Amino acid sequence: MQAAPGGYRVEGVRLAGVVSAVPARRLENQAFEERLGEAAVADVAKMTGVQTRYWVEPGQTTADLCQVAAERLIERLGWDRASIDGMIFVSQTPDHALPASACLLHGKLGLSPHAQAFDVGMGCSGYVYGLWLAACLLQAGLKRVLLLAGDTISPLLDPDDRATAPLFGDAGSATALERDPAAASLHFRLGTDGTGASDLIVQDGGFRSPCGPAASIAPTLKMDGNAVFAFTLRAVPALIEAVRADAGLAAEEVDFHLLHQANQFMLRHIGKKAKAPPERLPINIGKFGNTSSATLPLLLTDAVAEPLSKEAATLVLAGFGVGYSWGAVAGRFGPLDCAETVYL
Amino acid sequence: MSALFAGLAEIFEVDESEISSASELAAFNWDSLAIISTLALVDEINGVLLDGQALAKCETVADIEALIAKEAA
Repeated sequence: MQAAPGGYRVEGVRLAGVVSAVPARRLENQAFEERLGEAAVADVAKMTGVQTRYWVEPGQTTADLCQVAAERLIERLGWDRASIDGMIFVSQTPDHALPASACLLHGKLGLSPHAQAFDVGMGCSGYVYGLWLAACLLQAGLKRVLLLAGDTISPLLDPDDRATAPLFGDAGSATALERDPAAASLHFRLGTDGTGASDLIVQDGGFRSPCGPAASIAPTLKMDGNAVFAFTLRAVPALIEAVRADAGLAAEEVDFHLLHQANQFMLRHIGKKAKAPPERLPINIGKFGNTSSATLPLLLTDAVAEPLSKEAATLVLAGFGVGYSWGAVAGRFGPLDCAETVYL
Repeated sequence: MSALFAGLAEIFEVDESEISSASELAAFNWDSLAIISTLALVDEINGVLLDGQALAKCETVADIEALIAKEAA
């Protein structure tokens, strides 16, 4: 691993496959009209691009979705479970305050006692953080790592908030990474601006403002859309340009720019600024909504699954948002042994 | 500023002739979606990133023009 200012290069790490899992309950935009009004729902849909989203049922969690994705991935890859020596669960919606959901999943998936398993509490940037951490573990000597990433934001939504209620969807994912000396270099850039933390926040439910059976408030997501949008315009085009430069890539050499699916209007604007033409910047927020750390795996298993299953492609993946936190990776990925979306 | 007028006309879904510096934003649908669209518009045509809260406080198109001039200075 060689460090450049603000950027890092990782060698010998291969992304073998990805499976995403979405819950069964599919909601059309009409489902929000009674509460928010037809005109407001249409206005928001025009901006965000979201037409449908999938939400969990009460009692169903991110870990449940990730478990389904992981089982399918292990089966498709034919991996011996004993060969998996690390598992990272990236989510802001874990099963419990403790223990780590990764430990619960370790038991449910029947992994070996020598496998390390831990949680990482990140959202929009979480998938890239997960890839980075998995790559670091593999560089440190592990052979195979599972990255589970996803969120179930739907129980945190205020049904009367038109900016967030129709925007978010639920999904989980599992990504298999392994050591491969022949794998191409991956270039990472990661960063943080904690001064924006309050612009996208679930205030309650942690230890500063606990929620319990006696609490009259439910933890609810709050978003200052203007501030988050301004942050994104400020940070993301520069992030994409920087990671491409790290990898020695011109914009036209990138087969696909895979960006966190936050908002269709914003993605198109970022695409223009970062010189990523629409045919190389797939958008699938229309189908799934903003699924937090699962948007990037959902692009891999939905929007670019076919080309990436056939042959290797040069990709830039970028996640950005809650924190504020961001991360991008550029390099040659694939061909993937498995890229599949499971509908529960 | 014609690019600004044309862009605002598109955001408000009105004819460009209806937009001038004197236009009152309250006469149009000056909501959070319009504000976000205007942030992107100004970023695109002026290369300037306006402060979202300051933009939300604008009452006329002239106020937006003044904000752009201030940020660009």
